[in-house]
Amino acid sequence: MGEMVSVINTVDTSHEDMIHDAQMDYYGTRLATCSSDRSVKIFDVRNGGQILIADLRGHEGPVWQVAWAHPMYGNVLASCSYDRKVIIWKEENGTWEKTHEHTGHDSSVNSVCWAPHDYGLILACGSSDGAISLLTYTGLGQWEVKKINNAHTIGCNAVSWAPAVVPGSLIDQPSGQKPNYIKKFASGGCDNLIKLWKEEEDGQWKEEQKLEAHSDWVRDVAWAPSIGLPTSTIASCSQDGRVFIWTCDDASGNAWSPKLLHKFNDVVWHVSWSITANILAVSGGDNKVTLWKESVDGQWVCISDVNKGQGSVSTSVTEGQQNEQ
Amino acid sequence: MKLKEIDRTAMQAWSPAQNHPIYLATGTSAQQLDATFSTSASLEIFELDLSDPSLDMKSCATFSSSHRYHKLIWGPHKMDSKGDVSGVLIAGGENGNIILYDPSKIIAGDKEVVIAQNDKHTGPVRALDVNIFQTNLVASGANESEIYIWDLNNFATPMTPGAKTQPPEDISCIAWNRQVQHILASANPSGRATVWDLRKNEPIIKVSDHSNRMHCSGLAWHPDVATQMVLASEDDRLPVIQMWDLRFASSPLRVLENHARGILAIAWSMADPELLLSCGKDAKILCSNPNTGEVLYELPTNTQWCFDIQWCPRNPAVLSAASFDGRISVYSIMGGSADGLRQKQVDKLSSSFGNLDPFGTGQPLPPLQIPQQTAQHRIVLPLKKPPKWVRRPVGASFSFGGKLVTFASVRTQPQQGAEQQLQQHHVRISQVVTEEEFLSRSAQLQQVVQSQGFVSYCQKKIDASQTEFEKNVWSFLKVNFEDDSRGKYLELLGYRKEDLGKKRIKEEKQESEFLPSAGGTFNISISGDIDGLITQALLTGNFESAVDLCLHDNRMADAIILAIAGGQELLAQTQKKYFAKSQSKITRLITAVVMKNWKEIVESCDLKNWREALAAVLTYAKPDEFSALCDLLGTRLESEGDSLLQTQACLCYICAGNVEKLVACWTKAQDGSNPLSLQDLIEKVVILRKAVQLTQAMDTNTVGVLLAEKMSQYANLLAAQGSIAAALAFLPDNTNQPNIVQLRDRLCRAQGNPAPGQQESPKIPYERQQLPKGRPGPVAGHTQMPRVPAQQYYPHGENPPPPGFIMHGNVNPNVATAQLPTSPGHMHTQVPPYPQPQPYQPAQQYSFGTGGSAVYRPQQPVAPSASNAYPNTPYISSASSYSGQSQLYTAQHQASPPTSSSTASFPPPPSSGASFQHGGPGAPPSSSAYALAPGATGTLPAAGELPASQRTGSQNGWNDPPALNRVPKKKKMPENFMPPVPITSPIMNPLGDHQSQMLQQQPSAPVPLSSQASFPQPHLPGGQPFHGIQQPLSQPGMPPSFSKPNIEGAPGAPIGNTMQHVQSLPTEKITKKPIPDEHLILKTTFEDLIQRCLSSATDPQTKRKLDDASKRLEFLYDKLREQTLSPTIISGLHNIARSIETRNYSEGLTIHTHIVSTSNFSETSAFMPVLKVVLTQANKLGV
Repeated sequence: MGEMVSVINTVDTSHEDMIHDAQMDYYGTRLATCSSDRSVKIFDVRNGGQILIADLRGHEGPVWQVAWAHPMYGNVLASCSYDRKVIIWKEENGTWEKTHEHTGHDSSVNSVCWAPHDYGLILACGSSDGAISLLTYTGLGQWEVKKINNAHTIGCNAVSWAPAVVPGSLIDQPSGQKPNYIKKFASGGCDNLIKLWKEEEDGQWKEEQKLEAHSDWVRDVAWAPSIGLPTSTIASCSQDGRVFIWTCDDASGNAWSPKLLHKFNDVVWHVSWSITANILAVSGGDNKVTLWKESVDGQWVCISDVNKGQGSVSTSVTEGQQNEQ
Repeated sequence: MKLKEIDRTAMQAWSPAQNHPIYLATGTSAQQLDATFSTSASLEIFELDLSDPSLDMKSCATFSSSHRYHKLIWGPHKMDSKGDVSGVLIAGGENGNIILYDPSKIIAGDKEVVIAQNDKHTGPVRALDVNIFQTNLVASGANESEIYIWDLNNFATPMTPGAKTQPPEDISCIAWNRQVQHILASANPSGRATVWDLRKNEPIIKVSDHSNRMHCSGLAWHPDVATQMVLASEDDRLPVIQMWDLRFASSPLRVLENHARGILAIAWSMADPELLLSCGKDAKILCSNPNTGEVLYELPTNTQWCFDIQWCPRNPAVLSAASFDGRISVYSIMGGSADGLRQKQVDKLSSSFGNLDPFGTGQPLPPLQIPQQTAQHRIVLPLKKPPKWVRRPVGASFSFGGKLVTFASVRTQPQQGAEQQLQQHHVRISQVVTEEEFLSRSAQLQQVVQSQGFVSYCQKKIDASQTEFEKNVWSFLKVNFEDDSRGKYLELLGYRKEDLGKKRIKEEKQESEFLPSAGGTFNISISGDIDGLITQALLTGNFESAVDLCLHDNRMADAIILAIAGGQELLAQTQKKYFAKSQSKITRLITAVVMKNWKEIVESCDLKNWREALAAVLTYAKPDEFSALCDLLGTRLESEGDSLLQTQACLCYICAGNVEKLVACWTKAQDGSNPLSLQDLIEKVVILRKAVQLTQAMDTNTVGVLLAEKMSQYANLLAAQGSIAAALAFLPDNTNQPNIVQLRDRLCRAQGNPAPGQQESPKIPYERQQLPKGRPGPVAGHTQMPRVPAQQYYPHGENPPPPGFIMHGNVNPNVATAQLPTSPGHMHTQVPPYPQPQPYQPAQQYSFGTGGSAVYRPQQPVAPSASNAYPNTPYISSASSYSGQSQLYTAQHQASPPTSSSTASFPPPPSSGASFQHGGPGAPPSSSAYALAPGATGTLPAAGELPASQRTGSQNGWNDPPALNRVPKKKKMPENFMPPVPITSPIMNPLGDHQSQMLQQQPSAPVPLSSQASFPQPHLPGGQPFHGIQQPLSQPGMPPSFSKPNIEGAPGAPIGNTMQHVQSLPTEKITKKPIPDEHLILKTTFEDLIQRCLSSATDPQTKRKLDDASKRLEFLYDKLREQTLSPTIISGLHNIARSIETRNYSEGLTIHTHIVSTSNFSETSAFMPVLKVVLTQANKLGV
């Protein structure tokens, strides 16, 4: 199992405080990180290197998440922060600059997620004010904002878009006509709920489903990438230490059933699907990352304990000193 | 932000952290009276339902109590109850009593909710705390310095922590240490705090401010640091919170002076030690960091004082505050706007005016109470610093290429005043590999493609097959790479042509025995019986009547033979009548064979007989319809419900070389989501594509939607395992399927290379969306990317990409271009639309002569942009794609620049029919178009036109090497331009046979048919009279006298010797270029060897083989004449010749093997197998 995951690059971010997110771009060549030190950094990590491309300042509080837009829109990165702001950064002629600042939330913005590129440039933002806002680029530097108030009482912690799936076969689509996508995303919040939202024909967002299984804050939700199967899958993790895999097989998309992947002893912060949607990376409060895979008989099995003691390797000395006090 | 509100003047206790859902218990406060001066008391439990946006809190239960309370806590200790609600409510009463309630019973509405009570204390019990390590231990404090430790399991007899402190004082606060379970602290209003060690059973330290003005209203231990605690003062003169560290107990470590008046209550967050709540007589609720003294947050409150404040143990952002105005409020410290809440409430109010019971609950709405603070519209800011519980310390995210990005902070316990820890903040990028077997099999496949070791690969697969079906599939695939693929297919189906051949020989012998009886004289009877009538009819030349008479008399054979003499039309009619009359079991088969209606067999055979049907197709079908027929059969099998038959359809598709359908069929049958099963499929697909490429040299460029999807799925899987290079190698690079093009771009960039085409515009694959509004959709955007990247990335010849299964056909990007009729819109954007129109002008002239294009045009998919420049558009478009190929081939063969594509593709007519061997263009990209051919051509008036192509198509005997079997597909064009009749092996060629036969027979034909007349519909069944009858070769009912002429014309009779006559005739007629002198030795050597073999061979079969070989070597000589063979092959042949001269045949065979394995299959397939036969025979015979 050990050799299943091998470190190929260790990037010293030089952040001055805790890192809260690290995301690779579409190609896996650039790394964006964000931290409690209020900065967002971008590194070129090709060929095992680490070249700092940008150190983006603009947030006035810890930056929780970063999200890369699809490259068809250029090099665009969104970040969200405790300062209640969402900032959209853009590379223009090799220089990264702030291109938009969204200040529509009254509390910490905890999560940002770009919609599938097929829909255009749309960003969903979940905030501790309980609201979810949807920013749509309408051209000429303009962003249209739609807001779902009271999506999650005392806070939305995570948003994740459903992959772009056209109802029916692609082949049936009249060529040249824009496919009739149904836009959906999932959110998780401090009301212990996962909610699924769907864009109505009038462009309004409507709560389509409530998924209840967690008994504490839902920390993260991750909609699995589509691999061409009719099943939709969502992973969720919670303060209650549980990770659920939700699946929906029916066409209407309303019959979701949860399956407990595992109950951890501590909060589970983050879940992330592999691109091929067959492996789930689970990051827990004990600072452990584990990889899970569904076995043939439908059980989820831990296939790797990624970084047992990651961090302790590099900081064990300092940690030890602290403890001796 | 305020979340909820309860109008009670009460003490409050949150349910323990373990409990879900969250409850809040309230007990009527002993120290306050409301305006009614009511002294009744109650214990209530409310549920915190955050999904309900209203300010109301859901009341779950009310219990009328005889007590009023000074203190209420909810311990997690599990009592005997079994409900969802855990723990025990512990209440401190007015008269020294402690009462234990079972909250689950309260919620259930039980009458008996008290678990136990004890009134050992003196005076009101104001202080209670549960030990968090041993939740059955509860400490209580009351008047007279009384402190008791209660064991809930043994509630009757409390313990004491030690001797009472003196002088006796009220105990206002009591708290267990959060780190050390046997440490307890108590405080009294006079300002002294005492720390008790229960193991020592005595106070260990007393903490006291020298000012003596502390009036302790609150005491709390540091959640993390065992030696630290805070004390809050109620005294307005000293409204402070003191932070003490017992290691320096002489004076407070820090003093928080944020309140203007006395502090009534404090609460330290267990979730974040930097959050300490305090409320005071200045009507403020503050949240401060006791470690720094900084105020992080001020809750917006009304002007009333709060006398109790509690963190919700389960939801760390939630707190509750009880105020003197008779209200308990639940707040979130995460800020946010209450607009939504208020709005909802307003809605609720307005709607309730018209309907007192809008929700149909049967209960009227309670009196409207608009919260006072709703007037203030202000956004509540969150804490200045984010609480610990929102700071994600760890994360792992997958990214493209199976990479996992991880980070994790070391869990630190921030020391009081400690400097920011020097910590390196690293992010790690790891490669995740989970599919070892998949990768290794994929690598194997790649290696095979590189080394071209297909046969041994297939053999390995056959050997390793777990199932019969798997074995079959691999056997069928393997055949593609062997000589005589059709014959081998037949063997796989259980039909050995040798066996048939033997039977056939026997048959012939019998036939020939009958023949002599045809001699002698005969008399012509004109009597009145049938014979006489027939004679009369014959004598008057009335064939029709004669035939009718014969038929009437059931003299079928006579009828048919007379009909032959009577001409095409009559023969056709007669055949029909014959078939109508004949009812034998195999009539339909015979009919199909005679009519060449293979489609009929394939369409109407019982599917149980699919093997037989396939065998028939393999035997008879002309190459240009072969694939379509196999397809058809496969489709039938597939559409059958039977899953077994469905899988067998795969075999048909393999025969047909139809990759796309194989994929479709396989996908239906297998679970493709598993990497290994996808690998199973891809192995077959890659090998089949390779086979199709080698044997048919046709458009493997076309990548269907499904195949594209599977291949990109496969490449995605490889990429997900980190094998980016392999993923790129397997990705078909001659398609503009959007998903493949996108993936290619992604893979290229992921490799760390600058993206293809970056120089021109930074985002080739995606139309850059500066303004996504009204963008044309992703598909349109993608069309721009494909070609340029591919070319720049993989310049042909240099730095070739990792071996994919596209080794040859991919080089010319125009191939793909020309073959995309499905995306007409793209045509304009493509690089050079028709880059080589010139070479085809002559082509058109040729075709005019032969009419080839006229035949095929109707069946060609109509190319979208038919322009004036290319009147023959359908042809040109497909031709141009082939020219690309042939160009390629030429280049490969001759190692010369591909400048002379026209010459290569269209060898000058005199160069003899043999020139087709090296593969000219002409195969239609889609074989399915030809499925209709038989019917369609029948309607065409042009007589000798179609035959040209059919001739060439069927020129190759079914026992020819596989390349030849199918090559004709791409040979049609040149064949069309070639002068009259093909030279060799017309066995399969009804038309050619027929023509030549007719030519020969004409003079002797009794009926004055013009030569024109003999050709009009040669493709119709009537055109092949002899074949028709003769075809059922082993039919016992055959009239022997017919056998002789028939043998020559059998449309597919798999016997070698029958072809001799016909073959030898035309070859001589054609004037060929001389073989270059230096290579003449090859011909003489080989022919000499064959002669030697023939003279020493005894059995007829060997002789036949040798004869055949002799004919077939003509292919080689033709190539020598044209000088189209590559120098390596030439020199190899000379080496063989030399080894023949030294009679070292085994060496010759070794050289032979070397040539075959190193040369292009299609270049050598026409003659090398034959040469091998000769060498083997020579070796065997020892000549």
